Amino acid sequence: MTKVTFERVHKAFGAFVALEELDLAIRSGEFVSLLGPSGCGKTTTLRMLAGLEQPTRGTISVGDRVVNELPPAERDLAMVFQSYALYPHMTVAQNIEYPLRKRGVARAVRREQVLRAAAQLQLEALLDRKPRQLSGGQQQRVALGRALVRNPAAFLLDEPLSNLDAKLRAHMRAELIELHQRIGKTMIYVTHDQLEAMTMSDRIAVLDQGRLQQFDTPLEIYNRPVSLFVAGFIGTPAMNLVKGTLKADGNRLVFDAGGLSLELPPALVRRDVLREGGIAVVLGVRPEDVLLATDGERATVKVVEPTGHESIVFFDLMDHTVVGRVGPDVRLAAGEPVGLTLNAAKLHVFAAEDGRRLNADLQPPATQAAPSLVA
Amino acid sequence: MRRFGWSRILFNLLAWAIVFVVSFPLLWTIVTSLKPQTELFLIPPSLLPGEVTFEHYAKLLLETRFLAYFSNSVVVSVATTVLVVAVAVLGAHSLVRFAYPGRERLAQLVLFTYLLPSVVLIIPLYLLLVRMGIANTLFSLVVAYTTFALPFAVWLLRSFMAGIPQDLEAAAMVDGASRMGAFFDVILPQALPGIISTAVFTFILAWNEYLFALVLVNQDSSRTLTTGVITMLVTSFHIEWSMLMAASVMMSVPVIVVFAFLQKHLTRGFGAGAVKG
Repeated sequence: MTKVTFERVHKAFGAFVALEELDLAIRSGEFVSLLGPSGCGKTTTLRMLAGLEQPTRGTISVGDRVVNELPPAERDLAMVFQSYALYPHMTVAQNIEYPLRKRGVARAVRREQVLRAAAQLQLEALLDRKPRQLSGGQQQRVALGRALVRNPAAFLLDEPLSNLDAKLRAHMRAELIELHQRIGKTMIYVTHDQLEAMTMSDRIAVLDQGRLQQFDTPLEIYNRPVSLFVAGFIGTPAMNLVKGTLKADGNRLVFDAGGLSLELPPALVRRDVLREGGIAVVLGVRPEDVLLATDGERATVKVVEPTGHESIVFFDLMDHTVVGRVGPDVRLAAGEPVGLTLNAAKLHVFAAEDGRRLNADLQPPATQAAPSLVA
Repeated sequence: MRRFGWSRILFNLLAWAIVFVVSFPLLWTIVTSLKPQTELFLIPPSLLPGEVTFEHYAKLLLETRFLAYFSNSVVVSVATTVLVVAVAVLGAHSLVRFAYPGRERLAQLVLFTYLLPSVVLIIPLYLLLVRMGIANTLFSLVVAYTTFALPFAVWLLRSFMAGIPQDLEAAAMVDGASRMGAFFDVILPQALPGIISTAVFTFILAWNEYLFALVLVNQDSSRTLTTGVITMLVTSFHIEWSMLMAASVMMSVPVIVVFAFLQKHLTRGFGAGAVKG
């Protein structure tokens, strides 16, 4: 069981900053995802931890040991690559055995450990095959087997599921969760798929443009995104984001966006951020917090996307497109007028200029009334 | 059947005609080497020998310095091949894997040296070898052949190495290998078809080279097959056709053997199934 720590780790390739002053403390046995779009620095972070890249400055520790100067072989980490990186000239057994061979483990012990790892991943029947004779899912399991076989301090997984088809991916996701629960090792998982990160992780580190945006539990990130980027990146369909102006009017808090005017709960945002004459903000509402209500404000249905267990509906609300989720039994048709309200307890407010969260985050009482929609 | 009928037959005939034209000199060489001296200049010429004889082969092997030249050629070609492959593999790996200033320029420069006609290098190279004190030795030929085989070898291997996924080396290093360990365990086996192509290219180049061998070596004990056979069998007044043909056949044998053994490696796909995506 090993904790992994990044302290002020910075990585630049020439003038391009791939990672900016990263501080990250991963607890022993934790499953942490590094999540972000391409080029956000997540793979660079993982490669620096593995020893395949050198940080420009900063300290990386595995356990209590600073590993900056250690070659990859001595860091006691196992890595699963996006491409699997199976050695094509070796059989499955030889692939799994390779890390043990490099560590001078005796032949008889190697054999036994390979068989054990193969049994864990149902690879026994494939041990004599070459990687090219395997399906994508099987190759992926061999790559996992090669990581599992030598009981490393931590596992690094670089988008290991991204080359699998959707069904297999869901299956492997469950297998990985089960594996983590069984062996209890620290796992660091790089992905751009927020669903993977949400479903598998104890905590998620969201990165954007080389900067750590938020490092927290999946639910906390979903419910209290610290920035506009995190809010927009997490959740499918994405959070509705409406640009407008927020003004304090006596005890009232009013949000204006073109023809749309909302009275928000007064305690929603920190009072210190409000300015005379209002501030430019982005109001965020998750699709499940857009509710149908007969007494709500008038909107029109634009598009309905039924998925079977629910329908994703695009509404036109005062010239703003708002996405909502409705149950499978609600029948809506394009052009149909409906009434909408927003769940006041779950509104998000971000500063328009830098995207930071402005909510006071004193969870408003659940009984609070929905904001009145005033045209 | 009808669809493939005539056009297929015509196509096959054409293909075989081309094969025959291309291989005719080789066939004629073999036939001539097996004919008795008396049949050589018959008019009309006979395509098949009236009588098959191995006397020219026996004479070459037993009464001339053919075997000495042969062993010189083997030594020079094998040494050149080993040296070129060893240096080119490391050079190509460096050009592909490491980032350093001028890397691309260096790679282009390597190709440019190959574009230079080697004949203009003969005299400077000869003077250099004399000054180094290795003129007239087999080693001087190894050095000379290496200078012009190496650039092409580096270029050839570089493209092979570029096709090997970087992740393989990274995986080996995370799995416990040193950089050199990863190179030997993972990169070399993957580059094998490229290494074999390079080795075959270098070997054939060294085996068949004539000009440098002629200029750089003036001592009979250091002659290779190409120059040795010519000086021995071709004079201003007389050409030993039968023996020359027999020598040619025996000179081709190692090359054919090398090709036959390595052909499957040359054509085998590499890296298949290494990575997905």
